[in-house]
Amino acid sequence: MRTFLSLFKKEVRTCFLSPIAFVVMFFFWVLTGLNFWWLLVQLADGESLMMATQQMFGGLICFSLLVIVPLITMRLFAEERKLGTLESLLTTPLTAAELVAAKFAGSLVFYVVLWLPVVAYTIIQQKLSPVEALQFPDFGALRAGFLGVVLVGGLYIAIGLLMSSLTSNQIVAAISGFALLSILFFSTLFMAYTAPSPAVRLVGQYLSPYAHLLDFSRGMVDSRTIVLYLSYTAWFLFAAVKVVESKRT
Amino acid sequence: MIKVSGVTKKFPARLAVDNVSFEVERGEIVGFLGPNGAGKTTTMRMLTGYLPMNAGKIEVAGFDIAKDPQEVRRRIGYLPESCPLYPEMRVDEYLRFRAELKGVKAPARKAKMNEVKEQCGLTDVGKRIIGQLSKGYRQRVGLADSLIHDPDLLILDEPTVGLDPYQIRQVRELIKQLSDRHTILLSTHILPEVEAICERIMIINEGKIVASDTEQNLHRKLHACSIIEMEIMADKNEVVSRIGGMEGMDIRNASELDAGWVWLEIEADSSAMRVELFNLAVTEGWALRELTEQEHSLEDTFVQITRNAGGAQ
Repeated sequence: MRTFLSLFKKEVRTCFLSPIAFVVMFFFWVLTGLNFWWLLVQLADGESLMMATQQMFGGLICFSLLVIVPLITMRLFAEERKLGTLESLLTTPLTAAELVAAKFAGSLVFYVVLWLPVVAYTIIQQKLSPVEALQFPDFGALRAGFLGVVLVGGLYIAIGLLMSSLTSNQIVAAISGFALLSILFFSTLFMAYTAPSPAVRLVGQYLSPYAHLLDFSRGMVDSRTIVLYLSYTAWFLFAAVKVVESKRT
Repeated sequence: MIKVSGVTKKFPARLAVDNVSFEVERGEIVGFLGPNGAGKTTTMRMLTGYLPMNAGKIEVAGFDIAKDPQEVRRRIGYLPESCPLYPEMRVDEYLRFRAELKGVKAPARKAKMNEVKEQCGLTDVGKRIIGQLSKGYRQRVGLADSLIHDPDLLILDEPTVGLDPYQIRQVRELIKQLSDRHTILLSTHILPEVEAICERIMIINEGKIVASDTEQNLHRKLHACSIIEMEIMADKNEVVSRIGGMEGMDIRNASELDAGWVWLEIEADSSAMRVELFNLAVTEGWALRELTEQEHSLEDTFVQITRNAGGAQ
């Protein structure tokens, strides 16, 4: 546990110190900022609040995660391989599982920090809105929406981490992560919304992160979805542990 | 301390280490020599448990590396060949991080860090960022890292590569000091380094240990004959035919120097045969200004051992 903590601390620090972190933060915060601004414009035009949380935690923002997350995860193992520090790490008494867990947790912390402004926007909206009709009726949907982006983000990070563990080239890690996430995202999206067969559409809705994020941000917390994400994430992390244990050159 | 028996490592395209067995006793300093690609780094990586082996058994301090890799790693300080470090970290941060990973408990950590920093001459650069340090300092940071948990066994893969002569000397001094407290296995292809530091030399070639002994014994085993250099004032052809005709002598090289001097390199069965050469010069009336036996350098020995082994395959 002590080993995990020192690895985790180091991971969080490296995450926030890397220049790519600032680029990622800048773009994600511009995007979420614009998104919030757009929401305010819509509300000012007399739109209802019905879709507001969905727009904050789902919708177009979902697409940006496909790029953002691989950019966060690309360096995790690829950089260690490149520098050769994976060798010095794995010749100390730590285990590959501790290392993978620490890297996952470190990236998840960074990812959560990325979302903090969105949380702040919702509070601002709640507290400063002069008209009661424009205040969020309750924080339940917001909490569920936040849970949704953390679950989906966790899975994305696990996938990106696995891709990073397979190569010593960060660009390759980022692009393969992006490719895999896009396949997962778009195939289930098209299944859920455009497939002609209702059965396929149903399966798509069970699997699509896009659909899940919309559900979560509507306040619909489905335990099946939670189990799905946690087990997917665990599987990808397990695969990454196996890769780190076996791929040593 | 180390007990390696029948270890084999195959890579997809080649056999890197072929049925290697050796032992290193507690307190020894062993130099691990070999040409590039001979299997030094692979062997060391297997000793640290970084690479799994295909066959054989490795024991370090009584622990089997396949069964108790954690226990083995706790007892090893390893400096990998490329001396990998995190360029964005400060020296103190890095050493603290590594100490934590290696289970150095908090109360002793600070003192231990100061101790290794002093040993490695890093006291003044604790606050500096590793990426901005010179290669020599980075090498010392790597060495300090390998010492921080006070390991029984130090495995150093080419600890002086890329350093300037002054730094090499410093690192060498440091390694010598460390030998009081640690068993050391060090690989290199810089031969004077081995001569200066190591008590025993192990030579690996094409994945096989081809020699393992003290430096003197290696020379003795290899060089049954001795090489004699001679400079005399005489006619070259005559000298060559006379000396070449003597029993137990072969002329390896002969050349004419200025003012009628001739230089000869003679392979003789023993160094005592110098007396015969002297007597010959006296009876023939040749002026003689040099008659010496060549010292064997470790380089000769190394080249000969690795070449013989190569030829045998």
